[in-house]
Amino acid sequence: MSALPPENTDKLPHYVSKEPFDMQSIEKLTPEQEKIYFASQLTLMWWKFRQHRVAVWSGVFLAVLYLSIFFSEFLSPYDMTKRNVKHIYAPPQAVHLFHEGEFIGPFTYPYKVTRNMETLQREFAVNTKKPQKLRFFCRGDKYKWFGYVKSDLHLVCPPKKGSFYLLGTDRLGRDMLSRIIAGARISLTIGLIGITVSFVLGIVIGGLAGYYGGWVDMIVQRMIEVLQSIPSIPLWLTLSALMPATWSPIFVYFGITIILGLLDWTGLARAVRSKLLSLREEDYVLAARLIGASPSRIIGRHLVPGFMSHLIASATITIPVMILGETALSFLGLGLRPPVTSWGVLLNEAQDINVVAVYPWLMLPVVPVIFVIIAFNFLGDGLRDAADPYK
Amino acid sequence: MRLQSIIAMVASALLVALTMANTSLAGPPDEPRIVDMPALGKTVGKRGGTLRMLMAKPKDIRMMVIYSGARLVSYNENFKLAPDILKSVDVEENRIFTLRIRKGHKWSDGAPFTSEDFRYYWEDVANNKELARGGLSNKLLVEGKGPKFEVIDELTVRYTWEQPNPLFLTVLAGARPLYIYKPAHYMKQFHVKYQDKAKLDQMVIDNKVQKWSSLHVRKGRQYRPENPEMPTLQPWMNTTNPPSERFIFKRNPYFHRVDNEGNQLPYIGEVYVTMSTSAIIPAKTGGGESDLQARYLRFDNYAFLKKAAKTRGYEVYLWRNGRGSQMTILPNMNVADPVWRKVMQDVRVRRAMSLGIDRSEINEAIYFGLAREVGNSVLPSSPLYKEEYAEAWAQFDVDLANELLDEAGLDKRSSDDVRLLPDGREMKITVETAGESTEETDVLQLITEHWAALGIQLFTRPTQRDILRRRISNGDTIMSVWFGLNRGLATPDMDPEELAPVSPLQGTWPKWGQYYETKGVAGEKITLPKVQKLSDLYSQWRMAVSVEKQTEIWDQMLSIFTDQVYTIGIVSSTKQPIVVNKNLRNVPMDGIYAFEPTAYFGQYLPDTFWFDN
Repeated sequence: MSALPPENTDKLPHYVSKEPFDMQSIEKLTPEQEKIYFASQLTLMWWKFRQHRVAVWSGVFLAVLYLSIFFSEFLSPYDMTKRNVKHIYAPPQAVHLFHEGEFIGPFTYPYKVTRNMETLQREFAVNTKKPQKLRFFCRGDKYKWFGYVKSDLHLVCPPKKGSFYLLGTDRLGRDMLSRIIAGARISLTIGLIGITVSFVLGIVIGGLAGYYGGWVDMIVQRMIEVLQSIPSIPLWLTLSALMPATWSPIFVYFGITIILGLLDWTGLARAVRSKLLSLREEDYVLAARLIGASPSRIIGRHLVPGFMSHLIASATITIPVMILGETALSFLGLGLRPPVTSWGVLLNEAQDINVVAVYPWLMLPVVPVIFVIIAFNFLGDGLRDAADPYK
Repeated sequence: MRLQSIIAMVASALLVALTMANTSLAGPPDEPRIVDMPALGKTVGKRGGTLRMLMAKPKDIRMMVIYSGARLVSYNENFKLAPDILKSVDVEENRIFTLRIRKGHKWSDGAPFTSEDFRYYWEDVANNKELARGGLSNKLLVEGKGPKFEVIDELTVRYTWEQPNPLFLTVLAGARPLYIYKPAHYMKQFHVKYQDKAKLDQMVIDNKVQKWSSLHVRKGRQYRPENPEMPTLQPWMNTTNPPSERFIFKRNPYFHRVDNEGNQLPYIGEVYVTMSTSAIIPAKTGGGESDLQARYLRFDNYAFLKKAAKTRGYEVYLWRNGRGSQMTILPNMNVADPVWRKVMQDVRVRRAMSLGIDRSEINEAIYFGLAREVGNSVLPSSPLYKEEYAEAWAQFDVDLANELLDEAGLDKRSSDDVRLLPDGREMKITVETAGESTEETDVLQLITEHWAALGIQLFTRPTQRDILRRRISNGDTIMSVWFGLNRGLATPDMDPEELAPVSPLQGTWPKWGQYYETKGVAGEKITLPKVQKLSDLYSQWRMAVSVEKQTEIWDQMLSIFTDQVYTIGIVSSTKQPIVVNKNLRNVPMDGIYAFEPTAYFGQYLPDTFWFDN
């Protein structure tokens, strides 16, 4: 700090010379060298990222998933709330292509339901005499796309007078596949909204603490300590109890994302602060200050890019934490509640010995949770390596 | 047969002789209650063995008292009251009750059980200003007056009321009985009247309580047997201090029942009550960790339990649920919001809500089609049952429901097709549940869809049982979900209190109930004539002398209660899975699972259960 000019003297305006600057005035580069040395940081990152095969595939996988949430209703064969009292606890239904040695395209065999009065279970017998063809780009259950556009177009529909339960049905006869697809919309976005809140808070508060130090830092640190010392589960409990029951489930959903974001920024703020504390002593920061750059410009333009890799890594790790957070909250019955459907809500309904022993297909929502989290971790790994392309 | 009875006689004579010779010897009273096993369809068993049970909360050890079923008088197999702990009860004019104790009956610590134990309760507990601050229990008061208590001799006491009190024996026989006796020889050490002041003060400090009265209450709990030192008359006595993961109950060596061959009951020597969590109990039971389990098992666990039954060595029985309805929706007629209060007090609205529920879909989807699709009333096995009560407004008729709602002045609808209240708000109802099982929320989800066709929007809010109880008694709920009538198997001499406003815990009329309970100090006066009629009928029942009169009053009350749809029942006679170790004998395959009057297992005499291995 002693190297900086005194604060209360008259400041010179921020000055950058407008003279043209020829970088090659001393040493001329070959076109190949030029391609590498003059490549923008983004290009370099992309080159580096491409080499990490698993990360690329994870990225593609996530992109497809995120794209799918725009067309959830179209992709799912049934409406997610459609109940079929006749097909309660139907096990997953296979899709066949060949009937008695003859190719007739994707079809299912109908289920015949009988009630076993001894075990009090519904028994599903497959009638292999009557193949029922699936329909594609067809008219099925009506829905309102994003609550506005009315439609009934589906990618695939159950056969007429038949059923298509690729992942089985639950205790009210609702199609699990449709519910998992619908749940993705909530579960995948809850991470993004939460992380935006937590990043904005983390970078701004951590940045201020790290850049200014002194009493600002002191207050921020104590605030973080207080926040971190509050046990999270009871806090969640209270906050979710505060949300009135008459709120529409979507408001509750936003409330929960914001709660997750508001509680999560502390770790990031600490990381930003400590990074800034060391970076602000660097010569290029001093240079920026000497030419009169404002604190927000120094933090935003010179300091934050300096630990971008750290931010990216922490973002890609935090998103799955958020997804898990929502899943855990809903699993405990504190988060989202039916009729909102998320993977956590689905898993909450599956936390029962009956499911484990008798209806194991109800645990399938755990599969997308695992894949998404692994994909995010690989993607984060690749991005972190790529964010420091000069290494 | 003859030889058997001779042996039995010799045995009991021998027993009597032995007890007379040495009073400290463990054994039943000189005049035990003889349980005639063949007459009850039971077999004479062998003594010994350990029964394991699972419970979820520390206060669940009261289940041991409920299951045990030893009461001063108790319901026999035909739901008639008969002496149990007592040798006999003489009733004159339904107001003079003479209670006789069995000769030689002893507490579990060997001290004699005498009229002193009744006197101690009456004079030093019930009428002690510090121990009974609220005065006598409501059940002992007739028109605000308590009985006159007399000790006739060492084994006889008498309670005399000025007016008839038909409730008296019923409350002594309850699943949660009214205790009118306490082990005086043990309790006196905690009583200021009998204990040296300095010593008592020291005990108060040692036990970390405020006053001697709290110490007395804490040491002397009979319904929740937490104190292992406290003598009992139940078949098993607790030997473990709380808190504990496992409570070990040991056989009471002085228990008053014997089988027809003279063997003292209970057959089973020890009962282990292991604490777990309610969600895990079905899994543990399926793993064979319980020998007798019904609590915390739900109907939808049946398939799983049945699957594991063979390999784990247990049987699964399906008993009938004894409640008037598996679950009921309670519209709160005393809700704070004046607009809602008016709507809920309109019988047309309540009837429409009941008519709008598709009970057969609920039955099919959730109860495997095994339940009865009727309202909240008594069950067919009850002598008071009438089809018209059960089926009142329980059919599925959307058109009639909509008509009734239109008639009730709720004929305007919003753009979302939701009906509007008189003040223009949308008819959005939050129904609060205890959130203990997905069963409740599933049923409510189905009802939400059914009621959407009526233009009523329903929201479910799961809380916790204790919080819900508090919200109900504060009158905060618009609607709540509770169980149906506890006394689904009511007989005319059982208390019809559930049909009238008597307590702030009744979700339909908490304020009116509070008014009754506090004798007008808190709560609100009844404003609906039909409810006033119920309240009057209830007072009349409390004074009724004959069974005919009681039946007549019950009939009238049931008729009003079901026709006015104060509670909206969904389905009844659902099944309760009971898991029984395959070596455990004398547990009936078919039974009624209810708190009252059967006290869950109490009616089926768990002291006669035995292990055959």
